[in-house]
This record gives sequence, C-alpha cells and structure tokens, in this order.
Amino acid sequence: MPFDLENLLIDKVRTHFLGEPDECTHACMHTHSLCSVTSGILLRMKIKSLKKTTARWFIPEDALRNSWASAEFDLAQIRLIVYQDCERRGRQVLFDSKAIHKLDASEPTADETKNPPNRSGACHIGGQASEKDKPPTYQYTRPASDVNMLGEMMFGSVSMSYKGSTLKIHHIRSPPQLMVSKVFSTRFGSSTSGSTNTLQDSFESMSQTFPSHTSSIGVCRVPSAPLLCLARSASFFAAHSNPVDMPSRGHSEDGDSGIARSASLSSLLATPLPSPGSSFSSGCASSYQRRWLRSQATSLQHGPMPRWSTEEMFNLSDESCSSNPAMVRRKKIAISIIISLPEREEENHNFQEFFFSHFPLFESHMNKLKTAIERAMIVCRRIAESSQRVQVYLCRVMEALGEFRMTVWNLYMAPRISEPVWLSMISQSTERNLLCQRFLKEMSLLMEHGAKSQFLSALLTAVLTHHLAWVPTVMPSSLPPIKPACQKPASQTVDLLAKSHPYNPLWAQLGDLYGALGSPVRVCRTVVVGRRRELVQRVLYVLSYFIRCSDLQEHVQPQGQMNNPANPCTSQTTDPTSESERTNEKTDPLKPSLSVFETSEKALNSDLGDAIPGTFVDQNDETLLTDRKSTNPSPSMESTTVRPECTEMGQECFGEDSDSVGGGLEHILANQSPLLHRVQFHIGSPREAENDGQASGLTGAGYGRGLDRKLHQRILSDIRRNESSDSALGDSDDDETSQQELYMSTEQNPFELPLPNYQVESRASVNHFGCSLLGGYCPQYMPDFALHGISSDLRLKQCLMADLEHTVLHPALDEPVAEALCIVADTDRLSVQVVTSQRRVCEGGRMGRDVMVSNLIHTLITSVLQLYAYNIATDFCVMHLEDRLQEVYFKSRSLAEYLRGQTRVHVKELGLALGIESSDIPLLAAVASTHSPYVAQILL
Amino acid sequence: MNALVALCHFCELHGPRTLFCTEAVHPPSPSPAQPGSAIPGDRDREGDREGEGLTMRANSSATQRADMCEGCRSLPASHPGFVSVDSETGIRYLSHQHPRQPQLFSVVRQACVRSLSCEVCPGREGPIFFGDEQHGFVFSHTFFIKDSLARGFQRWYSIVVVAMDRIYLINSWPFLLRHLRLTIQSLQNTALKVFDSEQCVCPQRAVRMNSAFSPAVFPHQRSGNAARSLTSLTQHQNLWASLHSSFSWLLKACGSRLTEKLLEGAPTEDTLVLIERQTEQEEEMSGWDGAEGGGSNSQSSQSENAQAKDFQFDDGRQEDLIGPKFKSLRHLRQVLGTTDFRQLTWHVLMGNQVIWRGADPGLIQSAFNVLKALLPVGCVRAVPYSPQYEEAYRCNFLGLSPDVPIPAHVSSSEFSVLVDVLNVERGCVIPVSDDDLLSLYQFNISSANTQPTDKGPTLLNKIEVALSNENLSVEVVSLCLLCLKEEWMNKVKVLFKFSKVDGRGKEDTQKVLALLGATGPGEEDNVRLLKFWMTGLSKLYKSHLMTAVRGGERTLSQ
Repeated sequence: MPFDLENLLIDKVRTHFLGEPDECTHACMHTHSLCSVTSGILLRMKIKSLKKTTARWFIPEDALRNSWASAEFDLAQIRLIVYQDCERRGRQVLFDSKAIHKLDASEPTADETKNPPNRSGACHIGGQASEKDKPPTYQYTRPASDVNMLGEMMFGSVSMSYKGSTLKIHHIRSPPQLMVSKVFSTRFGSSTSGSTNTLQDSFESMSQTFPSHTSSIGVCRVPSAPLLCLARSASFFAAHSNPVDMPSRGHSEDGDSGIARSASLSSLLATPLPSPGSSFSSGCASSYQRRWLRSQATSLQHGPMPRWSTEEMFNLSDESCSSNPAMVRRKKIAISIIISLPEREEENHNFQEFFFSHFPLFESHMNKLKTAIERAMIVCRRIAESSQRVQVYLCRVMEALGEFRMTVWNLYMAPRISEPVWLSMISQSTERNLLCQRFLKEMSLLMEHGAKSQFLSALLTAVLTHHLAWVPTVMPSSLPPIKPACQKPASQTVDLLAKSHPYNPLWAQLGDLYGALGSPVRVCRTVVVGRRRELVQRVLYVLSYFIRCSDLQEHVQPQGQMNNPANPCTSQTTDPTSESERTNEKTDPLKPSLSVFETSEKALNSDLGDAIPGTFVDQNDETLLTDRKSTNPSPSMESTTVRPECTEMGQECFGEDSDSVGGGLEHILANQSPLLHRVQFHIGSPREAENDGQASGLTGAGYGRGLDRKLHQRILSDIRRNESSDSALGDSDDDETSQQELYMSTEQNPFELPLPNYQVESRASVNHFGCSLLGGYCPQYMPDFALHGISSDLRLKQCLMADLEHTVLHPALDEPVAEALCIVADTDRLSVQVVTSQRRVCEGGRMGRDVMVSNLIHTLITSVLQLYAYNIATDFCVMHLEDRLQEVYFKSRSLAEYLRGQTRVHVKELGLALGIESSDIPLLAAVASTHSPYVAQILL
Repeated sequence: MNALVALCHFCELHGPRTLFCTEAVHPPSPSPAQPGSAIPGDRDREGDREGEGLTMRANSSATQRADMCEGCRSLPASHPGFVSVDSETGIRYLSHQHPRQPQLFSVVRQACVRSLSCEVCPGREGPIFFGDEQHGFVFSHTFFIKDSLARGFQRWYSIVVVAMDRIYLINSWPFLLRHLRLTIQSLQNTALKVFDSEQCVCPQRAVRMNSAFSPAVFPHQRSGNAARSLTSLTQHQNLWASLHSSFSWLLKACGSRLTEKLLEGAPTEDTLVLIERQTEQEEEMSGWDGAEGGGSNSQSSQSENAQAKDFQFDDGRQEDLIGPKFKSLRHLRQVLGTTDFRQLTWHVLMGNQVIWRGADPGLIQSAFNVLKALLPVGCVRAVPYSPQYEEAYRCNFLGLSPDVPIPAHVSSSEFSVLVDVLNVERGCVIPVSDDDLLSLYQFNISSANTQPTDKGPTLLNKIEVALSNENLSVEVVSLCLLCLKEEWMNKVKVLFKFSKVDGRGKEDTQKVLALLGATGPGEEDNVRLLKFWMTGLSKLYKSHLMTAVRGGERTLSQ
C-alpha cells in the first residue's frame, strides 16, 4: 500500500515538472495530504522542491499537522478490566485483557495486539477475527498482580449509595497510565424501575433497545478445549466492603425534588426556547442562546441538577435468569479502560491533551463497549456447558475490545484535512485570497465532474440542510463593523457571554460541527466514499468550507514564568526582585495601610490582623479597601488586569485590512459601546423604538457588569418578546433579586484582594474538534468524524445503522439528541444519500434516501462558479457566495413567519407567494428551525 | 469557570474536613423562563435560603465548631472572608472556610469526604476525577504536607475542583493538574523547610522513640499539639489570602483558557448605509457646534442622533404622525387602486422623482414611509414637505404644499411622477376611520412617462403577487420584500463589481445580467433598477471593492 502511494506521488511530481500548472496544483494538494500518511523522507524532499515553484498556490502550514501522534500508538496500550462487586461474594474480576491470550494454531501465542497497524493501513482487528475460518481460542490466565489495587480504585474504599452510573478517571504514576472506569448498578428482570417523569421514561426506554449491530459481526464459534474456568479464576478476590451511605446532608439527597428539577431542566434543554422571531436585531441569537442555556444548565449556582439519563444501569435482563431483585440491586459492575501512556514526555503530553479534550468521544465508545459486554454476559448465560460459556464470553468481549481499540486508534491516528477552508479563512486572514482561489478552483472542478447528476448540488443541499452551523455565520450582524466593512465580524455578544458566564467552548464547537443547532436537536456526519482518492479529497476540501464551527484559541501561561499565580507561596520561595509585579510584599508594609484598617480593626480577629494589612495591600489598593462597602467593581482594577480575550476580539476579521476605509468608522465607533447600536429593521410595520436611556452612562471602556446585564436584557427581552403575547411572567424579578443578594452578599464585607495579574500567551488551539473531526481520506470508516472520506463503503454499511442508534442513545454531545443522520456521498456512483437513525428500512436494500436537489442551492452554486468562470476576483466570488447563503437565511425567515399562523402548509402558495419551491422546503425548514423552533412542529 | 475550588484536610481527630473554599459568583442575569413555568428548582432554592438550607448550615457549622481543632480550621468564624472582583466580567471570587451558597455546602462536603476517605489513589498522592449528576463532579488532587508532630510526620490534604459541567471539567484536566501541582508543590516545599528547621531544633523521631508508649494515654497525648493549622505548618502568615488569590486566579484562568471565535454575517448594506449617514450627521453637527457654539443646536442634534441610533428612517415615525395615514404597501395599493399603485411603485423603483403635493404633510409622510421600504436605504433621499420645488438630484421623494408650482422641465420629464392629493369637500368634520382615506382624499397621478410600467421590473411583479395575496400577513409581506431586496442588492453588487470596478465590456455585462436572472421579460426595467440601486451601495462597500480589487487582479495576473 505505501509503495503504491509513493509511485502515485512520484508520478504526480513528474507531471508537475512537465509544466502543467493546473495539474501541479492537484499534485501539490494531493501530495500534501499524502505525505502525512506515508511520511517518506525522500518524498518530502521532492515536495519541498515542488513548493518553491508553486508558491502562489501554496499556503504555508505545517504539512504534518493532520495527525496528533508523534509516534505509533500501540493497541496493547489499551487494557480492559471488567469487575464485579457483589454484596455476597465480594469483588471478582470478570475480564482482564492482560490475562487473556489468544491461542491459534497458525500463529502460536499471537496476541493480535502485538501487530499494531502501520500508519498507512487501517486497523482491522474485528475484521480479521471474523474473516478467518477458525474462531480464535482464548486462554484466560491468572490476572495481573495489579488488579486488586485497580479494583479498589474503581469502586473506592467505601461503596457509594448512589444508584446511577459513576465515572472515574485515575492517573497512575508508574507505569504511567490513565484509567477510566464506569461503575454501574446491575439490573435483572424485565421490569423497568419506574420514574415519575415522562422525559426520563423515554430516555429509559430508549436506552433499553439494543442496537442490533452485534449480530452483523461474525459470531464466534465455540472451541473445543477451554483452558481455565473463568468463574474459578476470578474467585480469589475476597475484598469486601459494605455499602455505606455517604455522609451527605439533606436537601440535595431529596429524591423527589431532584427528579422534578431534572425534568424541567432537561425539557428546557431538549426544546430550546423560541428565539427572536420578528426582530432581526440579534444576528447571533441562536448561537448565543444555545451557549447561554448551556452555561445555565451547568451552573454551579443552581446546585446539583441531574440533567438527563442519570439512571444508567448495567443490564443483565434475560428471561432465563430469575434472581432475587432485592439482592442483585446491590451488585455493581465496573468497566475500566486502562491506557498506558507513552514514555516520551512529549508524546505523553500530546496524548493526554488529545484524550482529555476528546473525552466525550472516548466515553461514547466506552458506552458502546459496555453494551457489547452486557450482551456477551447475557448470551453466554444461555450456554449450559461452562467451558463453552467462557469461550463465548471471552470471544465476544475480546471482539468488542478489538472494536474499541481500533476506534480509538483510528480516532487518534487517522489523517485529517490539513487545511479546512472555513477554519483557515478565520484564522489566517492574510491568506484569504489564496484560499479563495484554491477553494473555487476545487469547487468548479467538482462541479464539472458531477455535472450530469447534479452531484455537487445534491451534496451541498444535504450538507447545508443538516450541518447547520453555517446559519449563524450569515445572519447579518446588527453591530457596526469594526474593521473592514464588508467582512464578517466576530460575535461580540457571544464573546461577552463566554467571559461572564463561562461555558465549555469545546462543547459548543462539537455541536456546531454536528450541526446540532436546530430544533429538535439533530446531529449529522458526512462520509464521502470513493475509490479515486484525489476526487474524494477534493470533495472533502470543498465541504470543509460549508461544514463550519467556531475557531478555538488557547490562552496559556508562558513557559518558565517565574510568578505563577497558582503558586501561593511565591513570597517565600522565589526571588524577591520579581515581587514588585505581584501586589504584595513591601518593606514596611504596615504604615501605608494601617489607616485603612483602623476603623474596622476591632471587628477583625487577630488572625486576620496578621494576615491582611500591608502584604496584600499597597497604595494602589487603598481605594479599593475604603470603597469596599460599595460593591461595584472598581475601575482602578481595569488597568492592571490583563485581558487576553480582548486581543483578538473583533479585530481580526474576515479579510485584509483596508485602513483607508475602516479608519473613519473605527474612530467614531470606538467612542461608543457597539452594543448600544442595535439595529432594528422596520419594514412596512415600524415598531416602537426601545429606549436606550441607560446607555448614555456607559462607554466602551467601562463595560463590565453594566454592559453584561444590558446585553442579557436586550437579548433575552428579544427572546421573550416572541414567546407569547401574555408573557407577563417573563420578568422574573424574584429570581433576580435573590441572585442579586447572593452576588452582592455584602453582609460580612469580605476583604477585597486584587485578582493576580497574569500574562498569557494566545495561540491557536490544536486539540479542538475543528482540527480533529474533519477527517481526510481515511483507510477506514470512522464513527466520530463530522466529515471524512473512505475508499469503500463495506464497513460503513455494516456499522452505520448501529452507530446512528448509538449516537442517539449516548450522544457525545452531552445533551439529548432526537435524531442522528449521516450523509453518504458516493463519488463513484455520484449519488448522495441521507441515512437516519429513525428509518430503518429503506426501499431496495439501500442505506438511506436520495437527496432532492434544492433549486436554491443549485442556482447559488451555479452563479458563484459562473462568476468565477468570468474571471471575477475569487475574493469577490466567495463574498457573493456568502451573500447568497444569507439570502437562504432570509428566505427561511419568511417561511417561518408564513408558518407562524398556519396549521396547514400550502406548498403551492409557498411557491407563488414566497418564491419557495417545494425542493427548497426541507432546507429552508431546517434553517428556520435554528431561529424559530416552532417550525419543526408545524411541518411535522 | 463555573466551578469552585476547595482545600480539604483529613484531620487525624475529626476526619475529612473542608478548610477553605473559593467560589465564583456570577453576575445575576434574567433567565429566559418559559412563560407560565417557574424557574426550575426555584422553590427549592427558596426553601434552602430561608429554612432548611440555612439551618442545616448553621447546625453543621455549630457542630463542627464544637468539634474542630486548629487543623480543621482556616479562617476563624468571625472572619469576613476574601473577595476579588473581576472588573471586566463582574465575576466575584469569594473565599471562606465553607461555601456561602447553601446549596453548595453539601456538594463540597461530599467532594471532600470522597476525595479523602472514599476514593483510592495509588500512592495516595495524585489526581482523580469522580462524581455524579446528583452530587456534582470533582477533580481532586490529594497530597501530603510535612508535619514534625503528626503521625508518620505528615498530614493528608486534597484540593478539589467541583463543577456541574462534567465534560468541561474533564477537558480541563491537564490545565488543572499543571497548576494545582504548582500550588501543591509550593505548599509542600514551604512546609518542608519548616519541617526541616523544626527537626533541627528538636528531632521528633528521637523524642518519640524515647518516650514510653502507653495505649491509654496515646490519643490524649497526641491531641494536644498534633492538630496544627496549615498556617503553622508553612509558617506563612498570609497563607489564606494567598490561597484565595491562587484559587481565584485558577478559576478565572481555567474559564478563559479556551475562547471561541465565532463569526456572524457581515452587516447588510442597509445597516452600513444607516451607520454612514449617522456618522455624517454627527460630523456635520459637530462642525456646526464648532462654528456657532449654539446649545440648542447640539440638543437637536442629540435628539436626531438618538433617532438615528434606532435606525429609524431619518424623518418622522409612523406613530408620530397625526391624522389619516397609509399603514402599509398593501393599504396604499388598496387606496390608489392596482393600476395607479403599479405606476407609482414603478417610478419609485426606477429612481424617478416621486412628488406628492397636498395639504396634509402627515399623510404624505406616511406615503413616503411606506414607499421607501421598496428601496435600499441608500437609494432614499427624501424631502418630506417643502414650500418650493427641489431638484431631482437632491431628492427622489418630494412632498409639496398644494400651491407650489412644478417647473415645466419637471412636469414634462418622463423621469418624474406627480401625485396630487385633493381634499374631498365635506360639510363637517366627522371622525372617519383612517382606513377610509378615499372618503377624505382624491389622488391624481400624472407623469410624462410613455414607457409601459406593467412589464417589469421582476421585483415589482413579485411584490405585487405577495401584496395581492390576502392570506399573507403584513409581516410575511415585509419579509418577502426584504428577501427580494436582498436578492436584488446582491445582483447590484455583482453588476457594480463587474461594470464599475472591473470595467468589463458590454458583451460581458450582458452575460452577467443573464446569469443574474435580470434578462428576459422586463429586462429593460430590471437593468434600470440595478443601475439605480447601485447608487445606494454604501461607501464602505464600494471603496472596499475598489481597494480589494487591486489585490485580486494582482493575483490573477500572476
């Protein structure tokens, strides 16, 4: 395989030297993505020479960025342990992959994990096992010596009374390992434990339907000679402990209120609130709202609020098994994945960064593994003969583990699109022209290729219908442009939200990529299938413009900074010369600040007298302390606080500078807080203007709480306005005052200390989903990627339905998902289908349904590419593309408005009155559901 | 970050205890409650605050106080705690021995007990993540601190970070671990120095080996001095204030570790033009202020600015107008009749001068307000009511009092249309409904235009379909109109780029017109419309294209 690739590459390089400019681009792009896969030194040298001559086509970048691993990732690094903690019999190891050896006549003691796949090849463990005629025979030996300790870590030294599943992560120092374990309560019998709330019920019942994929994977046959009985080998663990109720205090343990809370909150999450319907004033509303709700749902201030699917059990229900439910309720099963960390420090670091940032994906695969283990246990109980039973069990679990290992390996090692168009345009504004040129070139080649079948139009219709994150990026900004006028601004409202009410940006990005912006929440992936690598890569490249997400930046402490604020004992451990940077430590500390404390001295405890004055208060802070009764954030702090988030905000926009143009506006607008200029459109029916009374006091620099609150009020009042006419309850004054009290909490006048200064370096984050989930031409189908290409759909067909069902049951997104979809584009057959978790049977044994080409999208692409053909500047063509996408958004607004009062939809009238053709309705309805959730209900 | 940090200690006498806790309190914000439904858990929280919660807290602290030693205490009960305010975001970081928010008390307690007596960490020092939906999620790092007087010469502590966002907390693991290690190492090193110096003075090992062991006396003997505070173990007098700073910083830095750059769409041309007009207005005003120094002037300019800020069309709001008025395009169409309406709107869209002459300025103003919606903001130049004729280059909407004569070159021009509003004579003033404009007025439309107005432009044809469909609400028609305008503005942009910026020839331009769907029936009108609308592009956009093009051409010619 690698050999072939090399040949191919060299051929490409030759064509270049013959001097074909067009071909050369492709060769370039092509070799570019290939070299990351093959990593041949000779090749890279060739490419280097290529780069020189084709500089104008080339975007300088780290060519090898598309894989995280700096070295091979060995499959044996992943170990699985299944443990049982039974009240009666204590702890037992039910499975330990380290204690299992495969016996095979042809390859004696060949543990498959000893053959890690090379980078260019796929990792085919599951496949190998089932392809062979003979099923593998496994030998179960004595578990490794560390299992006792690991069991302690999984279950803890005291059993928990908590009934749901719990997740733990441990770091083991030597040998360096990470252990992720999930402990489940077991469930026997078929009756479900009832729950009072319907939403929970539905999740419950959903989680009981098994994905059917296990049956499609080859069934292991039972070998004749078992070597060791599992039950016996596991029985020497006698560690026993009684479940102890946690010393928790009162109210949060109250089961009823807990459920009630969870119900209302999860319903809040499942059906997003209506967002601004009639007003165009908040372009970012849907993005903003999704993030705001997330920050509220995960807020600590509301106390613990179980959100959804908390009652995840280990299901052993089987009709043949009758046991005493009262007893088995106390049985817990732990599933634990132990990953050996690379020895080299850098690799170790890289892997951990990847692992923790991509944890939701790992967890989702662990859940899949758990389901397989459940099935293995249920199936093997039906077998009477004990040795056979063990073999069936081992065989099935090993197979599931193989799947897991393979998925993780692929997730970590698979090639990525080295330069996704959209993200590159956001981050490298200087390269915009080059990016536009390359993007349009690829797109027009693609258009030519599939012209007859409208392949590209169909594909983009599907992608734009389901990967909805493009919608907020074309909603017109209501804010005055800061820099180059016609470029896309960064959302300032979302930026402010992130600062005042932090949410997880990685979560937001994952939702973007999967297109989970509509209502009900749907998640989508796109797979491009085709034998012609170059063609598939071209499709991937073009789609990486339309499948959008936010760009993430990381702000880290510079290496080797002396005064890390995390260090509380700096004053005593480090060089005093650097102390002046921190606020403490004066030579004669008591003098300047004594006066401040005189009045309150009596109230202070002696301990405090020691602790506070002088050392932490220097002259600058005197004002703070005297002022501390008025709890307003002091403006004097402003100057000392470094605000790293601000550096990028709004400044770096979507194009090159045009100072002559932007200068004037920039100057004028700098004096006013941009948020005060909320644009309101009044077409035909002017609305009464909102007063901006409080605005006058605020200036751009002085924003803080005031602005933040104003922001919320504005956006939320926009939201409320549309909820219903009788939204008298909209203003939750009570809640606000209580929050206010808490926020102010002045009764004790705590001592105010300045926040430590901190320096940060901002850099593009590497470990984010925008980099990792836009896959390249992969050796094998991957269940996680938002986008990737594969050569054959064999495995896709095997796994896809099960994967989609799994996504609905265990969404990596950490919020309930109504439907999971996959767009399958076949470049060989030039077909585009959408496969959904909801429709199992499709006509003619096909996976999904063909996509109907939206006329709107087809004309859009045609006219953009025609402009490109007329030799209009590519930058302008891309701007025009964005304008046309904005038209789609506007159309979706009129559709939403049209549907507002309707109970039935008259397709003909839509066409006549709104110019919306029937082929556009699915697209426009999906787009409309991002800003007007009621649309989905009407159209269903 | 929406989390709290707590320092916990396993007291040899009292078991796991929370020593010090830093919480982030976010500025309150109205939550988007569903109408008719209470905030989730609102009542519960109310209960916490006034009843159970507080008593629980009081009880527990009372029992703990009775049952507490130096080792399980950080700040004395009377200490008001520490606060740091992040002035940019308004987030307040509060530190006390126990969390101030009652609902968090048990959460922290649970995290503390689990981290120090339930969870198992190999070597007893290191990070663990654990937790559940019911009790919150915890990143815990356990560690030893040297104490010459403690059993085994060390005491066991943990720092826990508690959050409700499980995934966020796990995502932050490397960051938290990196920085908590610094905190812990710093505490350990400081304590080690103290330990070493104490051992120099009085080697405890020797003392202990030499003292007689008596099981009966043992616990009592130890309890006297064993429970030393962390302040004493580190000899760091400002330890708690320092920890407050460290923890506050940690929460802030962890929350802002990753930031999103989220783009939204470029502002529409209408928005840009409104901003430009406002800017011009402000500049003019400031110019006048400088020259005249008049107070009244600046006041009027402010009020005008306030209006412009709301991006109302420059003059006169619909609501402010007294008397009969046009409410919408559909209304105007009903009043004028379809033929006259068609003729009038055709002139509006072609950029011809539209003159209304009549005695009621309010009515004329309302007509202009309704008609202006047909055009991009940049194409509207209105003189709402004037005592004399104004030339077409100054305004395309002109209101005149009844007696103003129209110059001959205007009345004979095909580029203007005149609407005469005549009052219908009545005996007395009876309050009539505004809808019934025809009972009050008569409208005479005249123009020297000889061109047919019933073919194009396409935009007008489509608008008329929407207006005539009574099933569509006024809002839907507005949105329809907006869609059509944006669609044609995008065509305008292409044509501008093609003909004005790139200066392409006629043949090429024709190709582009075909591509834009401007050819075919009504082509002539479409082209006129496009050319007129080009004048309404924002300056910003035009100059952007002019400058950007140079770059674009350079790359093309390479």
